Amino acid sequence: MPTPTKGPRLGGGPAHERLMLANLAASLFEHKRITTTVTKAKRLRPYAERLITFAKKGDLASRRRVLAVISNKGVVHELFTDIAPAVANRNGGYTRITKIGNRKGDNAPMAVIELVLEAVSAKQAVVGEAEQAAGNAAARDAAAAAPVASAESADSPESAESAESAESAPSAASADEVAAEDTTVSASEGDAAETVVVEEGSVPEADEKK
Amino acid sequence: MAVPKRKMSRSNTRARRSQWKAVAPKLVKTVENGRVTYSLAHQAKVVTDSAGTELFLEYKGRKVADV
Repeated sequence: MPTPTKGPRLGGGPAHERLMLANLAASLFEHKRITTTVTKAKRLRPYAERLITFAKKGDLASRRRVLAVISNKGVVHELFTDIAPAVANRNGGYTRITKIGNRKGDNAPMAVIELVLEAVSAKQAVVGEAEQAAGNAAARDAAAAAPVASAESADSPESAESAESAESAPSAASADEVAAEDTTVSASEGDAAETVVVEEGSVPEADEKK
Repeated sequence: MAVPKRKMSRSNTRARRSQWKAVAPKLVKTVENGRVTYSLAHQAKVVTDSAGTELFLEYKGRKVADV
């Protein structure tokens, strides 16, 4: 929910304020970057981002709700077809406000408000891809992880069987679960080593008994 | 139209004007290419070439607007 507006409203009345915000939003979607006063830019940001959220939903009802604000059908079409796909991977924060100093005529503080259309940063993109891959290719990842685990535990067939049984239980594959599988494999290998030690210990005892 | 009833005394005028002071802007000190520059915080800066010609406004390594 956007923060409630503080201080005096824009324009000479409620209708004037609505018109100013609608025109600012239409100009922003048309030109992608507009220069205005800091006050208007701050008021425009939640207003425009709400319209972009409607555009990301993309159905007819959303389009009509945006058209109730912006009367220019060309701008609304551009918003739904160009801007909404460009910010599909972005979870809010579709606009950026940068202050650029005071205006010459009346010394009003000015700002540039622009749409953030560049791709989400590499780290966030990787996280998003991982989330998608976890949903799509869980089985494929598990199949890919199985030969690796079996290769690591090739020495002891019992441990390999235990590792495979451990892998078959969880279906959703992720890095954490792969790490968990590694730990189970190493633990089973450790058990095998312990059994070997016990056998070695038992052999001398048998010799002593003999 | 509302009109003052009495002349404002010289004392009152000067007392009012004594409170009118300039405030120094808060500047941020940065070193660019070995040169110390001062700039306003949270505001785009003008980028100039070696001859001192103003090129564009920049903020956090991003071009913001033309001058």
